[in-house]
Amino acid sequence: MKKNTFFFIMSITLISLFGLMMVYSASYVWADYKFADPYKYLKNQGLFLILGFVLMYFISKIDYRVYLKHSNKIFLICFILLILVLIFGTERNGSKSWFGIGSFGVQPSEFMKLALAILIAKILSFNKLTDKLVFKILILAVLVFGLIMLQPDFGTGVIILMGTVGLLFAAGANLKFFGKLGIMGIAAFAVLIASAPYRIKRILSFLNPWEDPLGSGFQIIQSLYAIGPGGLLGFGLGNSRQKHFYLPEPQTDFIFSIISEEFGFLGILLLAILFTIIIVCGVNIALKSKDLFGKFLAFGIIFELAFQTILNLMVVVGLIPVTGVTLPFLSYGGSSLMITLMSMGIILNISKHQK
Amino acid sequence: MFTKNIHSRMKIAVLCFAFLFLVIIGKVFYIQVIDYKKINGYAENLWSRNLPIKADRGIIYDRNGVILADNVTTTSLVVIPNQIKDKKKVAVDLAKILNVSEDAMYKHISKKTSIERVHPEGRRLSYEIADKIKNLNYEGVYLVKESKRNYPGDTYLSHTLGYVGIDNQGLSGLELMYDDCLTGEDGAIKYFSDAKGNKLKLNEVYEQPQKGMNITLTINDEIQKAVEKELDNAVTKYNPDRVIALVMNPNNGEILAMSSRPNFSPANYQKYTVEEINRNLPIWATYEPGSTFKIITLSAALEEGKVDLHKDKYHDSGSIRVENATLHCWKHGGHGSETFMQVVENSCNPGFVVLGQRLGKNTLFDYIDKFGFGAKTGVDLNGEASGIIFSRDKVGPVEQATTAFGQGVSVTPIQQVTAVSAAINGGILYKPYIVKSINEPETNTVVKQNNKTMVRRVVSEKTSKEVREALESVVSNGTGRTAYIDGYRVGGKTGTAQKVSNGRYLYNNYILSFIGFLPADKPEVVVYFAIDNPKGVQQFGGVIAGPPAKTILEASITALNIEKPTGGTEKKYNYLDKKYITVSNVVGMDVNKAKETLKDFEVKVDGNGKTITYQSPEAGSRILEGSKVRVYTG
Repeated sequence: MKKNTFFFIMSITLISLFGLMMVYSASYVWADYKFADPYKYLKNQGLFLILGFVLMYFISKIDYRVYLKHSNKIFLICFILLILVLIFGTERNGSKSWFGIGSFGVQPSEFMKLALAILIAKILSFNKLTDKLVFKILILAVLVFGLIMLQPDFGTGVIILMGTVGLLFAAGANLKFFGKLGIMGIAAFAVLIASAPYRIKRILSFLNPWEDPLGSGFQIIQSLYAIGPGGLLGFGLGNSRQKHFYLPEPQTDFIFSIISEEFGFLGILLLAILFTIIIVCGVNIALKSKDLFGKFLAFGIIFELAFQTILNLMVVVGLIPVTGVTLPFLSYGGSSLMITLMSMGIILNISKHQK
Repeated sequence: MFTKNIHSRMKIAVLCFAFLFLVIIGKVFYIQVIDYKKINGYAENLWSRNLPIKADRGIIYDRNGVILADNVTTTSLVVIPNQIKDKKKVAVDLAKILNVSEDAMYKHISKKTSIERVHPEGRRLSYEIADKIKNLNYEGVYLVKESKRNYPGDTYLSHTLGYVGIDNQGLSGLELMYDDCLTGEDGAIKYFSDAKGNKLKLNEVYEQPQKGMNITLTINDEIQKAVEKELDNAVTKYNPDRVIALVMNPNNGEILAMSSRPNFSPANYQKYTVEEINRNLPIWATYEPGSTFKIITLSAALEEGKVDLHKDKYHDSGSIRVENATLHCWKHGGHGSETFMQVVENSCNPGFVVLGQRLGKNTLFDYIDKFGFGAKTGVDLNGEASGIIFSRDKVGPVEQATTAFGQGVSVTPIQQVTAVSAAINGGILYKPYIVKSINEPETNTVVKQNNKTMVRRVVSEKTSKEVREALESVVSNGTGRTAYIDGYRVGGKTGTAQKVSNGRYLYNNYILSFIGFLPADKPEVVVYFAIDNPKGVQQFGGVIAGPPAKTILEASITALNIEKPTGGTEKKYNYLDKKYITVSNVVGMDVNKAKETLKDFEVKVDGNGKTITYQSPEAGSRILEGSKVRVYTG
């Protein structure tokens, strides 16, 4: 096995196991309170982690060029699922984005992230990138984005949109044309915000969360109360105080806060290094891929992963408004973890077909 | 070429992500390191629940370290509603122990608050009750130590010390005035709690309460005790409206004792009216001083060279005409021909009118101002009054004349005592004060120290000496005889002032006062004693206010260790007075000779022998004429 791939796998394994540990540490208080079973979330997450690794292994054995052939079908299935979820989905935290199977749930939008990356990678590898094509691809992405926004799930929508933009950028899109589209995008974004006033409140709350400490500023304040006292070394594993009902659902979007609280600045630094290794190794695999489809697919997946990570961290540390995005590998969430590990499997297969 | 372009763009994307990671790490660093203190403080506040521990108030001492106000520790009940699982049961059990209704207790226990102090039922619990509650061992039910103010002397010095409310806050007197100093900083047992109020398994933090600062007063406990006793005696004997006493060191303005009746018990302050508690009469009461004010006129006349006490004479016919008014002397028929020394001794009103006239309106009122009347003395107590002096444009010859013997002016006791102190201490007016020092409780470091503050020189040393001599002769020969202490040189002046109500003098309603000092040649203590409207007695200051003042002076002798002087004016005896005579030595004499030697006493002989072997009291003691002397023979 190549050195690059080895580091890639090692980092993924380490970060996933660390995530499992942190899901337990962050969740047992709430789990005990809600389900009288402190191991509730640990068990679920553990199950999905094992499943995820098994899937990653099998997918790494499947030639990635299979997806090239079936990209349209995969996309279409996901697209239909996205429509169906609006009708038959179950609502959680105000979003109709789940197909519930018992206590487990599947998010079609998570699959769409992968499906769209496959489709766009295919289009980009077979066509000369004209402004017209860029425009068409963007229309497609905005269509998917719009569908996801109907749930609504702003975070996932933005990841999909930005993942598309990232791919178009890498494929050599005309930067001037890109800039114009960017301005249009910002305008559209503004309209979107204006159409739902609660978003304005959210946006303002991150600037001064103490203005409305019990309302829109609540989550970010609770997050800062976890990160701040952690200091350089943290309180140690298991010793977070904010997880004791102060921070709501600490095992999901805000797990980074609990990690900061328990492991401090040094822990955060190590975590950032692991993420950087995954991103750098992932892009390395894209660079060394023999064909364009492999390059774009690997890059698209890593770009989405990196963007989602950054989005989550910026929310948690109070740099941008709350968007509701999970932290890959670390946040609790079965389907999210499974999809992430599956996409890592695809990248691993691409790495096998290098020059 | 095409692929190369793709590669470089992919690398740019990676660099962008790396940059964003750095931004995020930078923000985390900012939160955890630079903003740590602020956020950690907020967070600690969020997590911690405090079981408050009351700080001890500073102790108030007399000048010799006698405790005048301290603290006793009590226990209070505190509940944390969120930690109490079975609220019903806990309420029932606690209600039974505290003997209150279950509903009231349930209200406390189910209150939506992080910590509930069970007030007032659960405050200041006895040891037995606290022990019973402790034995219940309920989660969320706590007993915390509380500090309660304690006044060992109860009503002693109550107006000056003041009192505190249930939360140990100073509400009157020094307790109020120095509340910031006396109040300590409350401590707490800090425990960490989750957002639902349950206790986290983290170590409790004990924040020690900081004691308040201690205050040492200029008060002398021994003299104060004598003062309180004499005030009580006066109340019992005369049933007066008010009684006031004030003792001061004339040489620096230190208040050695002060008190008044009616007074109050700080522990039961609820039973008294606001007026009873807040009116610290020695500094608040204003009234006509009467003859004690003559000391001011006398000092002014001497300083201005308007009179020679021994040579100048005056004939008192019993009244004097001023403009269209006739001003009477207190003695019907007058004192006849007398020297001005006798005018002072007799407290002769027409004589003082003449002294006032010799001074002239402006000079007399200048001295009144210089002695500090009409303005607050600035004593470090709250509630001081400034009194009322005629404004000069309204002073005609009659007002001038009455002012000269102490009528028509309104002054406070402390003004009189400070002014008289200035007249007799060598001529310097000092600002009176009662707080000697404020000390840090642990190290006893002096935080604030008060020293004597000279206000101004009022009269010369020479004048002051003459005033002292004149006032000494008032006690030995004049109206102040009742304050004479055998073997000591005492100076003083009586005062009898008719009370005024709605601009008219009241019939048979007087304030009788005496101001005395000792030793007369070098005063160390000034005592003022005033009785307002004593019932059923002769209305003369010397008769009523003299004896208690004398007792307080005697107590001061012991308290201040004042030595017996030599010389001084011998007391002149009238037929009512009994003499003090020195007992001669009779040991070794035969019985008859001894009886002859001790003819001024009643001699009681014990034993059958011929010569005296022992006598009691022993030779050299001074005892009252006619007292019993026992002798033993054989």
